Amino acid sequence: MSQLLGVAMLIYLGVAIILVMAELWSSPWMQRAGRGLLWAGLALQSGALIGRWYASYQMAAGPTPPPVLLEKLRLVIFQAPLSNYYDSLVFFSWCLPAMGLLAFRRQLQGWLGAIVAMAACLLLAKASFGGVAADIQPLMPALKSNWLLIHVVVCFLGYAALTVAFGAALLYLIQDYSPREALPALPLLDRLIYRAAILGFFLLTFGILTGAVWAETAWGKYWSWDPKEDASLVTWLIYAALLHARLLKGWQGRRIAWLAVLGFLAVIFTYFGVNYLQSMHAYMT
Amino acid sequence: MSTTKMQAKPKSRLWGWLTSIRLTVFLLLILAAVAILGAVLPQDQPAEFYASRFGEIWGAVIWRSGLAYIYFSIFPPWFLGPVTLLAMNILACLIRGLPRAWRRAFTPLSGEAILSLPPRASLQWPRETDPREAVAGIWRRELGRSRRQILPGKEVFFHETGRFRPLGPYLVHAALLFILAGGLIGKFWGIEGHLRLMQGEAAQSFVVGETEKPLGFQVRLDRFQVQFYEEGGIPKEFRSDLTFTQGGRELKATCRVNEPVSFGGFTFYQADYGTQLKGQVRLQVLQGPRRESLQAPLRQWLTLPGGQGQIMVIEGEANLQGFGPAVQIAYKNGPEHPLFFWVLKDHPEVAEPIGPYQFALESANFEMYSGLEVNRDPGVPWVYLGFILFLPGFYLAFFRPHQCWALVLEKSPQGDWQGRLLGSSPRAREDFDLRQARLLEELKRGTPS
Repeated sequence: MSQLLGVAMLIYLGVAIILVMAELWSSPWMQRAGRGLLWAGLALQSGALIGRWYASYQMAAGPTPPPVLLEKLRLVIFQAPLSNYYDSLVFFSWCLPAMGLLAFRRQLQGWLGAIVAMAACLLLAKASFGGVAADIQPLMPALKSNWLLIHVVVCFLGYAALTVAFGAALLYLIQDYSPREALPALPLLDRLIYRAAILGFFLLTFGILTGAVWAETAWGKYWSWDPKEDASLVTWLIYAALLHARLLKGWQGRRIAWLAVLGFLAVIFTYFGVNYLQSMHAYMT
Repeated sequence: MSTTKMQAKPKSRLWGWLTSIRLTVFLLLILAAVAILGAVLPQDQPAEFYASRFGEIWGAVIWRSGLAYIYFSIFPPWFLGPVTLLAMNILACLIRGLPRAWRRAFTPLSGEAILSLPPRASLQWPRETDPREAVAGIWRRELGRSRRQILPGKEVFFHETGRFRPLGPYLVHAALLFILAGGLIGKFWGIEGHLRLMQGEAAQSFVVGETEKPLGFQVRLDRFQVQFYEEGGIPKEFRSDLTFTQGGRELKATCRVNEPVSFGGFTFYQADYGTQLKGQVRLQVLQGPRRESLQAPLRQWLTLPGGQGQIMVIEGEANLQGFGPAVQIAYKNGPEHPLFFWVLKDHPEVAEPIGPYQFALESANFEMYSGLEVNRDPGVPWVYLGFILFLPGFYLAFFRPHQCWALVLEKSPQGDWQGRLLGSSPRAREDFDLRQARLLEELKRGTPS
């Protein structure tokens, strides 16, 4: 499994390099090759993900898997490989090309594609070489819930969309600071930031809501002001401000790009930063 | 919500400020800043915690200024202030804009309004061809359900999507108000406590903060089970088999983590489990060559033989971090702060002298308890109503852009048909252009000229 992920990591690195070269030499066939390779990396990583899911299910089911189909399905859902820090890094990295290729098909090339592929590569590198425990651990009782799958999937897809928004914002700020031929035009980037922020905001909201419902059934409190919850609220508020400023106050361009950067810092804090604080999401570390 | 012009009257000026988007964005960013503080600064700790962590002065500042309980502090209202203002801001915007959005969504476009949509293209059909049926087919295929209006010498096809889009933002903001209202209701009328039960034990009250509150019924723990994945590892499952009795009614239910049980207006959540001391503890006290055995009751000060101090047994663990049975003891001699330490039964070698004494644990009895969270929160339905409204609201607001299409067919005095394609979509330009190109292509294919 880890070899597959290693190959996927190298593929993402290759994609980033090819897409940057494609931009520098303005070569359409290299763009196509880069994207094709990104699809290949995504397929490979999906395989690794399913393999780990299967192994995790096997481990939980033991020699006597539940005989009833419904119980089997329940166990399959519980055993999704999303329950510790390593899993989350790998899944975050999977979400980036998946989100990019599915929701931002037309824009995912050149520099933006390279940023997304590079982010996916770095997350896999952190998972593989960052001293993160990679073994499949049995689930603690609090995580045995149907909400685990949907909560985590939605949150990380949201993070991925917000990463795309951040990439576009970064390109916008560079382009704005010193205009370059090779970078996408400003209005295009501006619209992309907005679209990615909407999608990310929606998914983030849905992630927070599912988390709240889960917390209500597990702990009897839909909101406990846990640092992870606080941080997600901060992120949510920043993107809410971005959408309001743009839709109703007519902010565009640089100011929206800076807000997208700020929002992404909050995403990073929500995901990584909280690991250093006392949190009920402690199974993340 | 939209910007408003400054107006002369003070009342409308306040109204303008309250409904302004500038206030909204400002409040959102302020709340974000407050929540960052709340995430970074440990919350709800005792005053001593802040003093030891941040120093005497800063600790006192944090404690006194309410930053230690930032979300609940009423004076100064770090969080409650801006959030109340935000709620007022949202409410004001709802009051201001909802009626118009409602009218727009539920009043179909009038014939004149349709005819005055911006023109996009014109079409011509050769004499002797009646395009009406072909156009109707294309229109249905490309756009789906439509209105068709037949006037003398004129026929209008009309299609509209996202008519309810204007309601989307209001639905989202109403949802937020429901969530905030639910939070408020929970704060005032909710109750949150916990209960520790031993196997076989029954209770008629539970603990809220420091006080006992009656449940109004009886709950008994018939059986408590813990399963482990492997010896000494993390638990696989723990469950409490409970029996509730109220009057003649009896209910048996199993409470697990993630599977709460409700009875008599309260909900029981399996929170944790542990061991606690049962009865008295037998300790050995060594003072120089003297060795004495004594019985220590739970949580009562006991004067030590020789009179050089007092001890109190605070709590016990059947297996303290894998080192076997242990009890925690407080020792004091005179008015100074008591000293807390653990005494391990199986590892007497780690015991350190406490004052002139040394302690060893001879025997202690433990029993397992099941820790239950006991709550009643009448705000939850409101919060969930907000959750449910939020999703369709967001979908309407962002994923159902408003689009109007009209095709006006007219018969000229010469007897040939002419068409005009009209349409508008203020918020989804790209999608609109693509659709227009496809529509025109289809319509032109239908005309042989």
